[in-house]
Amino acid sequence: MSKTIGPQDVLNALKAVKDPDLQRDIVSLGFIKNLEVGSNRVSFTLQLTTPACPVKEQLAAAARQAVQALGVAGVDVRMTSQVTAPRAARTPLIPDVKNTVAVASGKGGVGKSTVAANLAVALTRAGARVGLMDTDVYGPSVPMLMGGDDQPTVVEGKIEPPLEYGVKLISMAYFLPKHEAIIWRGPMLHKTMQQFLSEVRWGELDYLIMDLPPGTGDIQLSLSQIVPLTGAVIVSTPQDLALMVASKAIAMFQKLKVPILGIVENMSYYLCPQCGHREEVFGHGGAREAANKLGFPFLGEIPLDVNVRIQSDGGRPVALDETTLYGKAFQEVAAALAAQISIANSQVDRDISIE
Amino acid sequence: MNTTLQVTPTKIKLAGGNDTLTIHWSDGHTSSYPYRYLRDKCPCATCSEQALPRPTIPSPFPILGAKPLKPERAELVGRYALQIYWNDGHSSGIYSFDLLRSICPCLKCTARQATTPISD
Repeated sequence: MSKTIGPQDVLNALKAVKDPDLQRDIVSLGFIKNLEVGSNRVSFTLQLTTPACPVKEQLAAAARQAVQALGVAGVDVRMTSQVTAPRAARTPLIPDVKNTVAVASGKGGVGKSTVAANLAVALTRAGARVGLMDTDVYGPSVPMLMGGDDQPTVVEGKIEPPLEYGVKLISMAYFLPKHEAIIWRGPMLHKTMQQFLSEVRWGELDYLIMDLPPGTGDIQLSLSQIVPLTGAVIVSTPQDLALMVASKAIAMFQKLKVPILGIVENMSYYLCPQCGHREEVFGHGGAREAANKLGFPFLGEIPLDVNVRIQSDGGRPVALDETTLYGKAFQEVAAALAAQISIANSQVDRDISIE
Repeated sequence: MNTTLQVTPTKIKLAGGNDTLTIHWSDGHTSSYPYRYLRDKCPCATCSEQALPRPTIPSPFPILGAKPLKPERAELVGRYALQIYWNDGHSSGIYSFDLLRSICPCLKCTARQATTPISD
């Protein structure tokens, strides 16, 4: 090398690399850690805001190239992540849970629980610490979707949630004998939501995914009051009808100042496994159009496939296998969601202080 | 676009001086709510049902032993509201930030409310 390169030269070079989601360079974002500059070698840690960052490979490559352009032969980039939380939002109920994400829909039957469970699995497989809270007290389906026979236990006065595929789970189904129904009014539901949060040992989580019941009711309102939600994901099928009702759910979250992290189009199209013919059973693209029109992020399309249902019924979420079309689709939606959470968190600029 | 966040409080002072609660908003505006005024605007179901209007002018002859009204504490509700715990024991009112901003009693806000045309 013709001249000695120092740490500041490396940082200046890295300033040219911009995070496309957060719209700032990686140095001012504080992503560069443990920078070591040797005689012919530079090493540093690139700490992103989520292990599921959809552009992590691109950022690592761009960072490496920027330093190599200085004439350094060996550039060593270690990738880590530290998930951000909305600054205003740590709640005394669950202080070690960084982000709470409500998965909602306007109407039932759009596959919201399947999407919630698979997003939780996909985020876990990307390296995040994830919990899944089934808040559909009347029709809890999460334990069936996630499989396993693990039951919650009580340890030192708190409920230890079962763990399936790396995701911590809680559901009313664990506390009710099968075939028994819950027939409750509002105050009981509110109390249950508080208990699901305060009396379960969730531990340190990057994301707590909350599978909401369909529509806009007591549970949606309770959760929006009990915790300052990081945001909501709206699941819809492509049909206009699903979207019309979904807009009610969107309006509800806007009134409660819960950011809409994005819209997912589920059952987006059907691919015949025999001949590969693609059929748009419920239409296609309606959710993306609506997202664009309303100005919300579109997180992606999940195709309709009989395997999703078979695996789900068998307690094996399709997101476990990223080599399948469906596994890949969930992986991409999860990455898009993680990116939107990072963006939303970067926009909450200060705590609300009360004195 | 995500219009959910809009204007939010940045600082809330329960004892803002002169028996008022003060809110500093993210757009630079400051609202000062006299305690009695704010208490009378309680949006809870019970208060909303009350047919009789409550006196808004404090009596010049305070009842001996009656505590002057003030908020004891307040808590954020989700991301959209404030729950105020008054020293008269009432605490069921959840005041959304939107509501609080719309009832700001300052001259500028009151004038804006008076001149806003009724939209169809």
